[in-house]
Amino acid sequence: MKKLIISLIAGASMLGALNIQAQTLINGAGSSFDNPAFTKWFSVYQSTVDKTVNFNYQSIGSGAGQKLLLSETVDFGASDAPMTDEAMAGGPGKILHIPVVAGGVVLGYNLPGIAKLRLDGDTLVNIFMGNITKWNDPKITALNPGTNLPAQAIVVVHRSDGSGTTFIFSDYLSSVSPVWADSVGKGTALKWPTGLGGKGNEGVAGQITQLAGAIGYVELAYAKQNHMSYAELKNAAGKFVACTLETVSAALATATIPEDFRFSMVNAPGDNSYPISGASWVLVYQKQKNAGNAKKLVPFLKWAVTEGQKYSSQLDYAPLAENVQQRELKLLDTIAF
Amino acid sequence: MANLNQHNMNSTNHSWRNFKNGVMQTLTFVCAILVITPLVLVFYHLLWQGFTSINLDFFTQLPKPTGETGGGIGNAIVGTFVLLGEAALLGVPVGVLGGVYLSEYGTTKLNWWIRFTADILNGVPSITWGIVVYALLVVPMHGFSALAGGVVLGMMMIPLVMRTTEEILQLVPNGYREAALALGVVKWRTIVQIVIPAALKGIITCVLLALARIAGETAPLMFTALGNQYWSQKLTDPMAALPLQIFNYAISPYDDWHRQAWAGALILLLLVLSINVGVRFLTRDRSRQRNN
Repeated sequence: MKKLIISLIAGASMLGALNIQAQTLINGAGSSFDNPAFTKWFSVYQSTVDKTVNFNYQSIGSGAGQKLLLSETVDFGASDAPMTDEAMAGGPGKILHIPVVAGGVVLGYNLPGIAKLRLDGDTLVNIFMGNITKWNDPKITALNPGTNLPAQAIVVVHRSDGSGTTFIFSDYLSSVSPVWADSVGKGTALKWPTGLGGKGNEGVAGQITQLAGAIGYVELAYAKQNHMSYAELKNAAGKFVACTLETVSAALATATIPEDFRFSMVNAPGDNSYPISGASWVLVYQKQKNAGNAKKLVPFLKWAVTEGQKYSSQLDYAPLAENVQQRELKLLDTIAF
Repeated sequence: MANLNQHNMNSTNHSWRNFKNGVMQTLTFVCAILVITPLVLVFYHLLWQGFTSINLDFFTQLPKPTGETGGGIGNAIVGTFVLLGEAALLGVPVGVLGGVYLSEYGTTKLNWWIRFTADILNGVPSITWGIVVYALLVVPMHGFSALAGGVVLGMMMIPLVMRTTEEILQLVPNGYREAALALGVVKWRTIVQIVIPAALKGIITCVLLALARIAGETAPLMFTALGNQYWSQKLTDPMAALPLQIFNYAISPYDDWHRQAWAGALILLLLVLSINVGVRFLTRDRSRQRNN
C-alpha cells in the first residue's frame, strides 16, 4: 500500500512537472450558480483561444465572492445578487458588474403521484409566510383543477446560508407582495417566517427529496439533475409557464438593463416569461492592479459574453441578447490596466 | 435443614449474579461492536460507491469541465501530499522542540500554562484556524495560496505534536538521562543523543497520527488553499486538496461528480488508514524491543 502511494505521488508529480510552462493563473470565486458555466468556458477557452492562461474558479457562494473581491484576494468575483452601493463603497476602486449568464429558480416539491403542479405568486407568498399549511388548501386547489391534492402538511424548505438563489427568489416574492416586501424583504440571507433550512442548493434539494409534502426553491440544474418535480408558475401576463431555457430567455429579453447593468428580471412581462429568473454577474475592478492578469482576464470576459454564450446555453443558461452583448463589450473596454 | 436452605439461597444468589454479569457483558460487547460498526459501514459503502470510479485517469488527470464525464483528481491528490509536506515542515520541528522543552527543561508553573494553552488550541475548531490564517496571511498577501494552506495545517499540528511528544519523552526512563549526565555529557547532547533516539519511534508515531488527523481537514483549507482546477505551479498559487475536491463534487448536481467524490473519499480513507496501519507497525516493533 505504502509503495503504491509512493509510486503514485512520484508519477503524479512527474506529470505535474511536465505541465510547467509559462502560465498565467487567474483566480475567481463566488456564485455556485455560475460554476458549471465557468468550468465549461475555461476548458473551451483554454483549448481553442488561449493556451497560456489557467482559470481557477471556486464556487463558495455569492456573498463570499463579493467579500473576496473587496479584500482583493481574487482577480474576479461572481454573484447572483448585484452589489449594493454600500457594499461597493467598501472596495478600493470602482467595481463593474458584467452579466454573464441568466437562469431560473424553480419550486421543487415532493408529492408522490402528482407530476404537475401550478402555483402563483400570491399562493407562494402565503406558503412561505406560513399562512397556507395544507396541500389541499382552497387557494392551491383552485389553481389545480382536476388534481387530487392530499390533505398533507406543507413542509417549507429554504436556504440556511447566504445565497444568490435566495436573493432571486425573495426578489420575486417582494415584487408580487408588498406584505412580503415589508415583513421579510429581499436579500441573500433572510429571517424566514417558517420552514426548515438547508445548506446550499444540494441541502435544499436533499430535504425536498426526503420529506413528503416538502416544497423549496432550487436552481433549475439541481431540480433537473435530481429528477425532482417542479411547479409551473403564473407569470405577470397571467399565463402558467414552466422553467425552461426558452422561458428564462423570454424574461431576459424583456428586462430593462440600466447603464451599470445592475438589473432585476423577476416577474417579467410577456406571455412566455418565467417569473423567477435572474442574472448572474462577474464582478471586476475597473482599474486593475495586476496588469499581467488583467491582460488575460479582459479578453476572456469578452469571449464569455459573446462566443461563450453558445456553450452556456447547452447547460440550461439563457443566452444574453445581441444588444446586451455589445453594451457589455463597451463596458469591458473601459477596464484600465 | 438450615444448612440446606443456606445452600439453596447461595445457589440462587449465585445464578442471579451470573445472570447480571452475563447481561452486562453482552451489553458492553454490543457497545464495542457498535464502536467499530461505523468504520466497517463507511469502508463498505465507500468501496461500493467509489471503487468503480477508480482507474488510472482518476490519479493522473485533471477534473473535466461540467457536462463531460471522466477526468480525474490527480491535482487534488498531489495537492494533499504537498500540503501535508508543508504542514510537517512547520509542525514537526516546532511541535517536537516544544515537546522537548516541556519534558526536559520547563519549570512546573510555566509548563502548566503551556500545556493548558496547547490543550485549548487542540480544541479550537478547524474553521477558526482557517479564518485566522486567512486574516493573517491570505488578505495581506492578496491571494489564496498553497503556502497559507500548509501554514494552517501546520499550526493545527503543533499543539498536537507537542503534547504527544512530551508524553512520549516522559516514558524514557530517568536513569538514561542520569547515566549520561553522570558521564559528563552536557544536557543538550543527552537529549539529542540519548533521550530523543530512545523515544524516536514514539515521536514518529505521533507525527504520523497528527498528519492523519489533518489530512482530512476541509474547513481551514477553504479559506487558505482555496482549491485549484489545475496543477499548482507555485506555492503562492491556490492549490487543490482531496477534502476540498470531495466537498465541491459532493455538493454539485452532477452524477459523475458524485461518483468521483465517492472515489476521492475512498482514497482519502485509504490514505488515513495506511498511515494508521503504519503507526501500528511502528508501535508493534517498539513493544517487541522492550520485551527483548
